[in-house]
Amino acid sequence: MAELQGLGAQLSEAEKVGVEIVAISPDPNEQSQKVAEGLRLGYRFLADTDLTVARRYGLIHARGGPDGQDVPRPATVVLDKDGVVRWFSVSHNFQVRPDPNDVLRAVRAL
Amino acid sequence: MAGRQSPWHNQRVESSTRLAILSPLVALGAIAAYVLFFRVAVVRNHPEGYVVAFAVATGLAVLAVTRTRGRRWPAWIALGFSGLLLIGGAWFNFVAAQVPDTATALHVGERAPDFTLPDASGRPVTLADYRGKKPVVIVFYRGYW
Repeated sequence: MAELQGLGAQLSEAEKVGVEIVAISPDPNEQSQKVAEGLRLGYRFLADTDLTVARRYGLIHARGGPDGQDVPRPATVVLDKDGVVRWFSVSHNFQVRPDPNDVLRAVRAL
Repeated sequence: MAGRQSPWHNQRVESSTRLAILSPLVALGAIAAYVLFFRVAVVRNHPEGYVVAFAVATGLAVLAVTRTRGRRWPAWIALGFSGLLLIGGAWFNFVAAQVPDTATALHVGERAPDFTLPDASGRPVTLADYRGKKPVVIVFYRGYW
């Protein structure tokens, strides 16, 4: 969430209209959506409850959760209009996320 | 301890007590700074910073212990406090927070795997529906980080 808030704060209004930010998490997302709407961030929170999509993307941190459950590896992916990957970053330390400026640079380079 | 009464020694006791107080303050300050500036990318992306601060705090406490001539317990308490934070912080950052490498399905220049997932109101969202319309940023996240 903190990462998303950072990214949203740096996106100009124009870019918010032009880019879809899709946040995928196994966590319950009603609360996240409320927070994002409160901050006027145009995000869509998608529920990947059983980690199907994280698994499809090869982004599973096996038994990495607090109760030993599988969790997604934190990752950010920039796709162009045709759905082609143009930039991505996958975390090796769950505290560390890409700098929002790097994500924005990748978005602006599309 | 013949010189315990001399002004020189009193000053030494005082400076070691000051170090013993400074040590936990440095450690607590590092925690406060990390939490407060968590949304600043530079702070969040350098978690080893708090480990360094805990190491400095532990160093100050060691100095306090070695310089103490009078009451030793403040210095020892500082050393215990900062030392435990150093061990705990180093373990958290360098062991617990590590995410092992995986073979991802992400390749620059290739189409990302398609998916359909429900949004917060239960409506299905399909990635391929954006094709030809909008660039998409996908963020996989978990918990607060």
